[in-house]
Amino acid sequence: MVPTTDLLPLAIAVPLLGAVVLVVVGRWLPRPAIDALVTVWAVLEVGCLAWLWLRTGDGHSVSWLGGWSPVRGESVGIVLVGDRIGVGLALLTGALVLAVVVYSWRYFDEPPEAHAGTFPALILLFEAGMVGFALTGDLFDAFVFFELMGAVAYALTGYRIEDPRPVQGALVFGVVNSLGAYCSLLGIGLVYARTGELGLAQIGVQLARHRPDVLLSAAFVLIVTGLLVKAAVVPLHFWLPDAHSVAPTPVCMLLSGVMVELGVYGTARVYWVVFSGPHGITHAHLRAVFVAAGVLTALVGAVMCWQQRHLKRLLAFSTVGHVGLFLAGTALLTPAATAGTALYVAAHAGVKAALFATTGVLLDRYGSVDEHGLYRRGRDLPFVGALFAVGGLGLAGLPPFGTALGKAVAEHAGEDEFPWLPAVFVLVSALTGGAVLRAATRIFAGAGPRPRDQYAGTETTGGGEEPEIRDPQRRVPVPMLVVPAVLLAAALAVGLLPGLGAALAHAARQFTDRTAYTTAAIHGHTVAPSTPVPDVGWSAEGVLLALASTVLAVLLAMAAVWGPALRSPAVGRATAVCDGVGRRVIVPLRRLHSGHLGDYVAWLAVGMAVLLVVMAV
Amino acid sequence: MSRSARIRLFWATAVVFAAVYTLACTGLPHFGTAVHPYGTRAVATSLRQRTANVVSSVNFDQRALDTLGEESILFASVLGTLVLLRRARDERVGPPQAGRVLPSTRLLGLVMVPITLLTGVYIVAHGQLSPGGGFQGGVILATGLHMAYVAADYRVLKRIRPLAVLDLADALGAGAFVALGFAGLIAGGAYLQNVLPLGTFGQLSSGGLVPLLNAAVGVEVGSGIIVLLASFLDQAVEVRPARNSGSGGGT
Repeated sequence: MVPTTDLLPLAIAVPLLGAVVLVVVGRWLPRPAIDALVTVWAVLEVGCLAWLWLRTGDGHSVSWLGGWSPVRGESVGIVLVGDRIGVGLALLTGALVLAVVVYSWRYFDEPPEAHAGTFPALILLFEAGMVGFALTGDLFDAFVFFELMGAVAYALTGYRIEDPRPVQGALVFGVVNSLGAYCSLLGIGLVYARTGELGLAQIGVQLARHRPDVLLSAAFVLIVTGLLVKAAVVPLHFWLPDAHSVAPTPVCMLLSGVMVELGVYGTARVYWVVFSGPHGITHAHLRAVFVAAGVLTALVGAVMCWQQRHLKRLLAFSTVGHVGLFLAGTALLTPAATAGTALYVAAHAGVKAALFATTGVLLDRYGSVDEHGLYRRGRDLPFVGALFAVGGLGLAGLPPFGTALGKAVAEHAGEDEFPWLPAVFVLVSALTGGAVLRAATRIFAGAGPRPRDQYAGTETTGGGEEPEIRDPQRRVPVPMLVVPAVLLAAALAVGLLPGLGAALAHAARQFTDRTAYTTAAIHGHTVAPSTPVPDVGWSAEGVLLALASTVLAVLLAMAAVWGPALRSPAVGRATAVCDGVGRRVIVPLRRLHSGHLGDYVAWLAVGMAVLLVVMAV
Repeated sequence: MSRSARIRLFWATAVVFAAVYTLACTGLPHFGTAVHPYGTRAVATSLRQRTANVVSSVNFDQRALDTLGEESILFASVLGTLVLLRRARDERVGPPQAGRVLPSTRLLGLVMVPITLLTGVYIVAHGQLSPGGGFQGGVILATGLHMAYVAADYRVLKRIRPLAVLDLADALGAGAFVALGFAGLIAGGAYLQNVLPLGTFGQLSSGGLVPLLNAAVGVEVGSGIIVLLASFLDQAVEVRPARNSGSGGGT
């Protein structure tokens, strides 16, 4: 019987060992054996994390690596701390990796010569990085795992080297994220110089003994800059659409499904444990700044998502939009909003991964992810079309998807402080879901007039993509259909299983309680959180808002598909107004996404400078 | 954005950053203060662990998980490079050219290659005692081999560079670190716990698990760097690109 404390390091060691085994035996095994081996390994990891989830319960699992448990509150070692938010994210990662591994069974036809195990090995290393990041209770160790997932993600993004676009996307991804990571390292240096500690809880205790000053706020901003780059918060988000639109589909499922969300998790964890104590950064200050950043990100992501015809780019911008909502949700700093966001993240991961997976089928069949170029061509794939449309409805927040429940809980938690917040949530999910529904209607139902096909200035079409597999004549492989279906079912289950909501409500209460974390990490005691358990069930108001966003999404999609066919003066006037808004607001916004690395670095500097100023005053 | 707008924007933000960061640095402890909470603890612990090189004690004993993560980053980077620099369908390969080298350079290389390799092994093996260790020694090992490229030519380097074996050694070195961590669990302790006999302070056999982890990292770094450089050198020396490529990005 493995003790709970040993499950934490095992969850990191298992995928690392798996990567080594795959690289070693991958040179001799045939392809099906490699696929079977990596699947077994992914199942093993899910089992390990599920066990950890059950054993952790409503408390904290704490493990001091190397046996360096603190003596009189001091230790030289590294601690892993699992609460149900951290372990839950690790479990979500494990589940998505399993889905990706199964999806890729028949996917890549061209593993590198004599290194057939490399792609699955990289996926397992990616998993180790994400799980380690979710479970660590040490600031520098978090940075190490953050870099591990980064290094793997850059390589996976550029995997299709025949096409220059993935290589460019990976380069932008690598440079922007590395610059963010340097900022984090600078910030870690500042807090280490002041406190002489690296454990999150220990730094938090030491910082609480100093008066708040510029060092505190500057260190916070620098540390979270790297995390916010990963989370693609405007204006640090420019790398994301360029990378996610060109990465291989299975990799996109992981990038959008969970890696980006880990940036929000890291920001929230660092704030709660390290900076929220006495003499720290006040709740009101953080809430004002980060809710604003979240709303800005959500709106930019949603508007840009609606503008895209390149399907993977569309989905990438919808991730930006939703991450904005997640950031706003966690920045409300209440247990209820945190629980709602956690539900939303879990369900969104299923929906978004399913949407990428079905887009992968289109890429496989037609060598294109262009909404306009694929017009009517998906009519022989009704099941894929149904999955894509259901995914769009899930993204828009159709009850009883988990996205709707999570959104409703977060909206309800925020509306006292910010009465307009539910409107933002409804608008963003309607625009992103509507964009997916619009594409589904055109591609799979062939509805509406044929969309214009010519290149219109600032636009990425998505035609002429290299198919990721070589044989377009074969039938769609079964795993490529089963995986998105299961993922959508899981997103539905998140909304329907009352046990999960209750568990996350307790988890959110733990997550937002600094004392409980600190006591568990340093002293090994359990302290019951002082706040009440938030209510995360369905409410009438929540269902109505979710229905509203779904209806709005359907209406937007219908207007976009059939609108151009209508001939009446009212429609003409509406079109003229839309064109005017487009020229003044949307075209400049699109031009900012120039694909120029120098621009992106300049915007990274702008974002950091603005945060430095607003957090220092 | 135009070039000048971009540069102006960047400088404006750089000034803000410099001002705030300078102000933040005034809050740091003064130079030369006596209080070093982590340093004091780490030095005392490494003495107790009979590891003369405190840095190695921190890296491979006290905070070994960080090093596990870092060597995994290297492992992943080598794999990633293999993937990204694999031969594409449209790349042609030509044989490397023979280079002209002065006989004295060749002789110097012949003498220096074994000396450098020996130095590398020494640095890895003495990581628990003196400055150095698996990362530093591994890089020296890899550099030593590449002297053959400088002192002779690429064909000689290819002959003395068993890539298939080194590739395997890279993975096995990374795996050995992960596996050695299980020793602690098997002995009833924690993962990565230093459960081996600690030996006598200052002796080659001191430090318990530290020399073994150093050796694993040394093997991994040495072979990993050679594989990494091989990928780049192959691109530079052997591969001739066939077609021009466009650029990516978009809106």
